[in-house]
Amino acid sequence: MKFKLAFGALAALIASVSIQPALAHHSGAGFSTETIQISGVVKEFQFKNPHSWIQVNVTDATGKTVEWSVEWGSPNQLGREGYRPSTFPPGAKVTLKIHPLSAGGPVGGFVAAKMADGKTIGKWDGD
Amino acid sequence: MNRNRLALLLAFAGGSLLAPGLSYGQTAAPTPFDKLPDWTGVWSMTGGTVFDTATQTGKGGSVTPGVREHPPYTAEYEKKYMAHLALRDVERYPDVISNCGVPVGFPRILNLPDAYEFVVRPDIFYIVAENGPNTMRVYTDGRKLPAKEDTWGTYTGVSVGHWEGDTLVWETIGLKGDRDNDSILDRTGLVLSDAARITTRMRKTSPETLEAKMVIEDSKALTKPWTVTKQFKKNKPGLFVYDYGCAENQRNPVDTATGKTLVLGADGKPVN
Repeated sequence: MKFKLAFGALAALIASVSIQPALAHHSGAGFSTETIQISGVVKEFQFKNPHSWIQVNVTDATGKTVEWSVEWGSPNQLGREGYRPSTFPPGAKVTLKIHPLSAGGPVGGFVAAKMADGKTIGKWDGD
Repeated sequence: MNRNRLALLLAFAGGSLLAPGLSYGQTAAPTPFDKLPDWTGVWSMTGGTVFDTATQTGKGGSVTPGVREHPPYTAEYEKKYMAHLALRDVERYPDVISNCGVPVGFPRILNLPDAYEFVVRPDIFYIVAENGPNTMRVYTDGRKLPAKEDTWGTYTGVSVGHWEGDTLVWETIGLKGDRDNDSILDRTGLVLSDAARITTRMRKTSPETLEAKMVIEDSKALTKPWTVTKQFKKNKPGLFVYDYGCAENQRNPVDTATGKTLVLGADGKPVN
């Protein structure tokens, strides 16, 4: 399966330090320590406990669209840090840095995001 | 004494003997409100949620990568822990709280992300953890701990405490431990037994920091007391604490057949 992966200067696989809030709910769910980028359109931001999920439709070069699920922190903690359900509005174009699931599949752990207007969320620089 | 007065006296005496909460004796007067410290506000634990790397700070402790602060386990419990770690390494040791419905218990309740409130009253101290949510009660009304045979093993056990100046000291017994394989200290699979007895000393170390130092004794699981310290930082004023519906959007259920923590994709089906 091919996905449209927007690779950085040293391509997509870069060791990084995640800034996502601690996910104590489960044991990391098998996320890699590597970081990749995906670009797409926000379908839904599930601002719900125990963890929030950003659903993003990513279209590859052949025109095939795959929905990615990107896991973030609890809405409670994110809300105290200033994030809202409107942080990722449906239809917004976004590029995400994520830790992909080691087992493969369109799932990852949130690292950072860059919106179409250049606004960044999380630790975008330094990876 | 007439018969009515005698009957009233006997009824009062009998009621006193049977009254819950008095059977263990309320010998000391609770510390009044104006003598209690101010622990108001919204707090967060500092450091990671993996328990045994948080037992120390500085050299040899949590800030030194790769160094573990291993509990002094007996051979039996060391073997159990090694088995848990082996399962964890192949992603087959699920965190029991992924089942959404099991309290994290004590001492893990002092090892959580998200927000905390510490409610100090003369008669009782509450730990209110947003994550879970989880609650723990420490009675400070002068009662004594029940006898071991009057406990039956619960996630947070039974706790009785008192104030030594600005330090709250409490003892906890009656924990269920690893009896039902549903109470762990952290997701590496640290466990205690139902014989655990924990003495906690909690105090402010600065206007913005709290420390809880736990001395864990366990005649079945440990060869000597194990001391663990957790620290908390006060958040900026005015923040809200929210409910936490663990089952609201649970996308990490546990496959009971394999013990694997699943990740549900957009279609609700496991992707791992």
